Amino acid sequence: MPSSAAVVTMPTGIEVGIGWRHPHYAQLLEQRPALDFLEVHSENFFAAGGAALAVLERGRSCYPVSLHGVGLSLGSAVGLDTWHLDQLAALVERIDPVRVSDHASFARGGFSGGPVHAADLLPLPFTGEALDLLCANVQRVQDRLQRRFMVENLSAYLQWKTPPEQALTEPEFLNALARRTGCSLLVDVNNIYVNALNAQSAGQCADPLLACREWLSQIAPEAVAELHLAGHCRVSDGHGDIVIDDHGSRVCPEVWELYRHAIRCFGSVPTLMEWDTDIPTLDILLEEASRARAIARLERAA
Amino acid sequence: MSTLAAQQQALLEALFAWPRQDAVRALDGYASGVGNPPDRGLKVYQANGHLLAERALRAAYPVLVQLLGDESFADLARAFWHAEPPLRGDMAEWGGALADFLHGSEQLLDAPYVSDVARAEWALHQAATQADRDADLSTLALLTTEDPQTLMLDLASGLHTLASPWPLASLLLAHLEGQPTLAEVGAQLTKHVAQDLVIWRAGLQPRLRQALPGELALLHGLQSGRTLASAFDAAESLDFSQWLPLAVQTGLVLGASRMPSAPQ
Repeated sequence: MPSSAAVVTMPTGIEVGIGWRHPHYAQLLEQRPALDFLEVHSENFFAAGGAALAVLERGRSCYPVSLHGVGLSLGSAVGLDTWHLDQLAALVERIDPVRVSDHASFARGGFSGGPVHAADLLPLPFTGEALDLLCANVQRVQDRLQRRFMVENLSAYLQWKTPPEQALTEPEFLNALARRTGCSLLVDVNNIYVNALNAQSAGQCADPLLACREWLSQIAPEAVAELHLAGHCRVSDGHGDIVIDDHGSRVCPEVWELYRHAIRCFGSVPTLMEWDTDIPTLDILLEEASRARAIARLERAA
Repeated sequence: MSTLAAQQQALLEALFAWPRQDAVRALDGYASGVGNPPDRGLKVYQANGHLLAERALRAAYPVLVQLLGDESFADLARAFWHAEPPLRGDMAEWGGALADFLHGSEQLLDAPYVSDVARAEWALHQAATQADRDADLSTLALLTTEDPQTLMLDLASGLHTLASPWPLASLLLAHLEGQPTLAEVGAQLTKHVAQDLVIWRAGLQPRLRQALPGELALLHGLQSGRTLASAFDAAESLDFSQWLPLAVQTGLVLGASRMPSAPQ
């Protein structure tokens, strides 16, 4: 087990971490900036051994680690992949993470006679049927890992056609998931804003910021265990226009504003700064993390 | 099939079926896209899949990228994505069938060695993530005190051997390490030089080299659990006194041990 004396944290009352990606592996271990946790993608460390796992173990000796999955496919109608769950359980045993999470999404399903995995975060319909299945799968994960799991909301680029009488709102869906399974919620503030911007383009949302504040206000505060912040981009090309959650830029002013609202709603929950494409220098990522810490501190003081 | 399963299958077919016009039309009954126009959202997922496919295969097949060129490799990744979709949620596990996929390609008839290159690169890719093993070189003293018929050799993590009718080791080393030169490899290809290959992991680093004469037979025997004496009997052309120091120095042999049933 890592020595707690070696952990480099900021005693400020709010835990702030960064997504630790390959370009920063060596630099972060060398500089050891003051951070409260590192987040890594679980699937990148499923190997039985090798260089990547050795780096993660070194990181774990300096910082608490949050394992964030992108491939468990919690909402899959064909069920969870036992192999995937076994790999995750082995990694959890090895790393003893501070939190373990994945998304309210699916990727695994039937194609050409057998299950395939789309390696993406595909949306679920917000229906009772999907909720029942998601609850059963999350419960299975918690039983296997013997710990509370955390589930994140998505940015979605497709909407399921659901009869109005069967449709739940996304906050209703997530609150029910947390209530029924005891799991916690990971609220990605940028994802909510991306969805609202795309809804605005489709004529379904007059005021994206207002819609996001209402979304956040409807989430059960006691269920929220982590917040995510990231950048997004607007794409206009030969196929049309859309806003994409690409985690490839600084957090925009509107998402910072929503983060303030989230802290007011949920209190000082741990916050992660994500950056996964066009990854900047470590200094820039740390600047963004410092800004999140400062905002959260101000909101707490207010 | 439940409504949810039908919805999910329809989306997966819209992402993986090729050509996909019918699958996309079928999805229209279940979902609408986000963006302007509405099918813009579906294209995000389609493009993500192609991008992930190319990124995952580039990581596993750096020599193949150089042999085929960026554009052809991207086309290959897209075609393979649709022909052999991932089965698991760990993309590092996806791509092992690429060698067989290339073997059947009519477009690569003029480069018949690429499927062997792919097989070797996949073995290197897998070697990088095998369980770590520690060396205990003090146990090699058993080689001087015990009967080889009672001894086994402990071999490196990720050990893999390949017999090829092509200059496989030269092809890989020329592109990964710059030696031999590409001109020398070209001459070996023209002469149909055959090379066997040994792949293993030294510490955390995957390694490869051309196999010594008889080495594959010895390694096959040792990997299948045979004693040192028995495996060596099958490797008639191998000079053991040359091989062992090389294998120890490069981390291919990690130690020696008595057969479990051997008397202590």
